Amino acid sequence: MEKEREVFHSVLSTQSSALSADAIHLDQVSFTYADTATPALRGVSLQVRQEEMIVIIGASGAGKSTLVKCLNRVIPAFQTGQLSGEVRLFGRRLVHEKVGELAGTVGMVFQDFEAQLFATTVRDEIIFGMEQLGVEQAEMQRRLDEALAQVGLAGFEARDPTTLSGGQKQRLAIAALLALRPQVLVLDEPTTDLDPQGRQEIFALLGQMRAAGHTLVLVEHELAAAAAADQVVLLSGGEVIAAGPPDHILPQIETLERYGVRPRDVDRLFRALGVNGCPHDVEGAVEVLRTSFTWNLSKDERTSQQDTRQQPFVLSPLRLCSGQASTSSRQAPSKHETQPASLPPLLHLQSVSHIYPGDSPAVCDVTLSIAEGEFVALLGQNGSGKTTLAKHLSGLLAPTQGQVFLRGQELRQVPLHKLAQEVSYVFQNPDHQLFADTVEEEVAFGPRNIGLGTAEVEVRVHEALTAVGLGPLRKSDPFLLGRGERQRLAVAALLALRPRVLILDEPTTGLDYTEQQRMMDLLRRLHREGRTIIIITHVPWVAVEYAERALLMAQGQLLWDGPLRGLCGQADLCARASFRPPDITLLGLRFGRTPLSVDEFVAWTRGNAERSFIPSEAKS
Amino acid sequence: MPLFLYLDRQSFVHRRHPLVKVLALLLFFIAAFVMEHPLFILPLSAGIGVLVLLSGSAPTLYRLRILFLFIGIFTTLIWSFFYGRGARLTALPFLPVTQEGILFGLGMATKLSTFLATSALFLSTTRIEEFAYAFTLLGLPYRISFTLTLAFRLVPLFVEAAFTVIQAQRCRGLDIHRGHLLQRLRHYVLVLIPVFMGALRRADQMAIALEVRGFNSGRPRTSYQRAPWQMGDALALLAALGVTAIYLGLWRAGYGRINVAG
Repeated sequence: MEKEREVFHSVLSTQSSALSADAIHLDQVSFTYADTATPALRGVSLQVRQEEMIVIIGASGAGKSTLVKCLNRVIPAFQTGQLSGEVRLFGRRLVHEKVGELAGTVGMVFQDFEAQLFATTVRDEIIFGMEQLGVEQAEMQRRLDEALAQVGLAGFEARDPTTLSGGQKQRLAIAALLALRPQVLVLDEPTTDLDPQGRQEIFALLGQMRAAGHTLVLVEHELAAAAAADQVVLLSGGEVIAAGPPDHILPQIETLERYGVRPRDVDRLFRALGVNGCPHDVEGAVEVLRTSFTWNLSKDERTSQQDTRQQPFVLSPLRLCSGQASTSSRQAPSKHETQPASLPPLLHLQSVSHIYPGDSPAVCDVTLSIAEGEFVALLGQNGSGKTTLAKHLSGLLAPTQGQVFLRGQELRQVPLHKLAQEVSYVFQNPDHQLFADTVEEEVAFGPRNIGLGTAEVEVRVHEALTAVGLGPLRKSDPFLLGRGERQRLAVAALLALRPRVLILDEPTTGLDYTEQQRMMDLLRRLHREGRTIIIITHVPWVAVEYAERALLMAQGQLLWDGPLRGLCGQADLCARASFRPPDITLLGLRFGRTPLSVDEFVAWTRGNAERSFIPSEAKS
Repeated sequence: MPLFLYLDRQSFVHRRHPLVKVLALLLFFIAAFVMEHPLFILPLSAGIGVLVLLSGSAPTLYRLRILFLFIGIFTTLIWSFFYGRGARLTALPFLPVTQEGILFGLGMATKLSTFLATSALFLSTTRIEEFAYAFTLLGLPYRISFTLTLAFRLVPLFVEAAFTVIQAQRCRGLDIHRGHLLQRLRHYVLVLIPVFMGALRRADQMAIALEVRGFNSGRPRTSYQRAPWQMGDALALLAALGVTAIYLGLWRAGYGRINVAG
């Protein structure tokens, strides 16, 4: 047996030179998890050639993770059930290999980078795997340096991984696998938990690895990386719905939407304008549009791209946060500060700074007001101070300097049971908030805490569960719900307190397109009913499609307080805070407009049709 | 919030081979253990104090100041009251306070504080991987020393999760610091459930992540040499051995004990 395995490894290494064999070959693979009736995979067949990149897309529960876990026998080793069909790696059929034995062949990166890092230094993190596989000291040092250089973490050897940013952590997880020299690298939603900056880092790294000849299997629930792939596979209900090169799959807008994947802005635009092509990125799309149309923009139009009706509030980024609060020269006050003086704003931060002990300021001298009934998006990359700021608005943190007011009363003087009915904060991870045995118990917890009677508690539970659409599941165990349902349950648990303000930290993280829309439509409905909604988000289209006002944070400072459209037009400001507007907006900016949706872009081109462009087909 | 005691410095103590640090820790424990009289333990305590200052670990001791105070006061008091031997200083029938008792109590307090300070010095200057490595060199099975490192690594994550859960409960009108003792205990359970469930989920994922990186690969392991043996290591080990030898010598010669008169 041992010998056979040794032979297997040597077979793998000799075969890697011959590009003829498929790296991965799945033949009619089906899998049903133990204790469930419906199969998670049904007769999946696919081939990945060496040095290819395949992107597997699909909604939550489509079977994406199940599929890739079959590649290194995590299924059925860790998650038991009925597995049938054939999995071949480099021509060799997998039968009873242990996961650890395949470590040098298939590397696997997961969404939750925290659960993949277990050392106290970057160096130890990377060495760990090599020690397990018996790599010699000199070779270990060489691979360590090489892996760090590859992911751009050279010089970080002695750093504690917990002090790294999300993107860096995920890159470290990848480096730890690269050091094992796997022939296939599987990445299961590696960018889901990252901010835009971190996502860019990972996508850039993927491009490099692809150029270096790695065989890559990428699982995503969105299409950002799909355009650069050799193959795209759309899964739903454990079955392959569509498979093929990206220019074949990405333009199938209806199919993608039906199976819970958000089509790219560019593909939707091209469809609406009747243009063919499947460019990799915004730059490619601009090229196609330039050659397909004659753009006849007047000088006037080029310059008047900005929404000048509102004077947003742009702060100088060079102020220092010192011991003495600088009540410094502030530019034009935002429109939100110019409401009638008789009514104090719902929430008001006055020169708020927050300094964690022994750290640089997380929030630095921020003054802002939020009026009843606003829908605000709090933007900025991880570590920019947006969560700290939001926690001040909900009284979870007290400022180290400055004051927070709720309807003119200082927040720290508002008793907890009253505060809970005014401002609610939904944490990013719903699992931090759920603990009861049933859905209804979970929702009833808050109302009971504030001392409501049984009858009233029942009314609140019913109301909150109906609002989030979980009424039929009220007797279920929260831990058995899907991620989207758990997220909505967390919202319901707070809605039961009937708060006037709901603050949500990344409400769409880990949700697929359908769940994201459902979550955001719920918030829109609550907003229309008169609640004030503040979301912290990394997802550009979520901010742009739903929120009215943007607060942009960078390095603890508020860089922008004003309408979203205005922000999207400020390219340098966006770049400074690593905020990337949606693709459609970036595309529009190249033509002198700031569209916030595909429809706006299309309407604009149609409105200017007679004088601004002639489709190239018509010319020829 | 930093929960590790480790302080990233470049001192003479930090640079010592982990094996030397583990052995020195044991040797200093033995030296302090054999003495009863506070005046005999104090030179060792002072020595540890110098190492603490030299290695820049003083902030760790400061962080543990409450613990030192607690140990100092309670040990002295308890032994003073219950030592029992020697001439009584009070007439209280149930509390036989004696001069020897007080001396013994002070000795115990010094001894325990020295243990604590030595451990704090060790943890401030040694990374988890380093002492796991040292334990492996001393013959502890790799799996056990690895489990040990993992435990140290996970505790801060769980504490962080607990703080988040407390905040989340606060949003739902629960102040865990209020109410009588029983209510508070119940509140802590409400915090522990999500933390515990999260820990289980994480453990599940971590097990997979470990095997993906070759844990259980079935191949012979190698060990990255984390610290080359240096001249300073030999000197440090000799010094620690010397100190302990002196202490053992004194102990054999009958010094450092508390003689009960009568």
